Amino acid sequence: MSDVSPTPGFTPRFTAHGLVRGGQRLLPVSVFVFPFGVAFGAAAIESGLTIDQAMVMSLVVFAGASQFAALDLWQSPLPFLSLALVVLAVNARHFILGAAISPYVNGLPPRHWFGSLMLLSDVNFADSYQAMKEGERDAAHILGGGLVLWCVWAIATAVGVFAGTLLGNLERFGVDVVMAAFFAALAVGMVPNFKAALPVIVACAVAVLALPLLPTGWNIIVAALAGGLVGVVFPSESKATP
Amino acid sequence: MTVDAQTAYLAIAVMTLVTLGTRLGGAFVMRFVTLSPRVTSFLEAMSASVLAAIVVTFIVNNGTREAIAVGVAILVMLATRSAIWAMFAAMAFAAGFTVFLS
Repeated sequence: MSDVSPTPGFTPRFTAHGLVRGGQRLLPVSVFVFPFGVAFGAAAIESGLTIDQAMVMSLVVFAGASQFAALDLWQSPLPFLSLALVVLAVNARHFILGAAISPYVNGLPPRHWFGSLMLLSDVNFADSYQAMKEGERDAAHILGGGLVLWCVWAIATAVGVFAGTLLGNLERFGVDVVMAAFFAALAVGMVPNFKAALPVIVACAVAVLALPLLPTGWNIIVAALAGGLVGVVFPSESKATP
Repeated sequence: MTVDAQTAYLAIAVMTLVTLGTRLGGAFVMRFVTLSPRVTSFLEAMSASVLAAIVVTFIVNNGTREAIAVGVAILVMLATRSAIWAMFAAMAFAAGFTVFLS
């Protein structure tokens, strides 16, 4: 991450042109977000959210993994604190993305700074970060990509929500395992070698052992912290880009 | 056992604020400090750990069908490096299990 030292004297811009460039580059990529949005919409209905609640969640939260994680805790009484902490832990990787892209946004006026970051996600980060390295100096590029992803995410959620409402019990279509399968795949993708798998293995063990001992959701928080600490003690080689 | 509307929207508001905090937080703290390698290691390891912890909790709370479905997802992910194919394969297995074995 230390390789992102912009040339001295450069000032970031925030223009409509940058917005359009970022959006155009992500149009083809955004297609791959669609199945996840449909899966989320269907799983949300399965978990007892209303159509409105599922749509509002996708529109204002716009972070797929944490939305799936919330469904897991969607029960009455709602465990607010563990929900907040699980969402924080699932989205903690945004901190790394924001820190990496900071040289390209931190010179901006507050309004533009906020605009560049408000829809930051893995996909538009990856694309805009690459573009910035190749000379892009317009921070609206990040927002442009984010807006395309946001539209696709909303439309896909709507499709999933209506499929879920029309088809009734979705267990026969395997919708109930989507979240676990998606998370397992994401976790595998984050683990390039055995050393990087060590925190994950410890976290799994802690999660299972703490499950009967702690209130809903807290075993996950304790396991995430344990995994993070193992990562500090036995760091794996950091990837070139986060 | 259903969540009432007021609680649901309050929960969504909490999720929104926390998520926005993570989006803005990284760039914000970089105005004052740089992320040390230890903090980066912690966040990287925690990102994968929290997902894995949610998965094993889901498996323990459910059963064989769900455990094998997750196994299918992991194998397909290792083979194809595509989370979408992993997701579809696990769904197809779970759907088949429900139709043919229960």
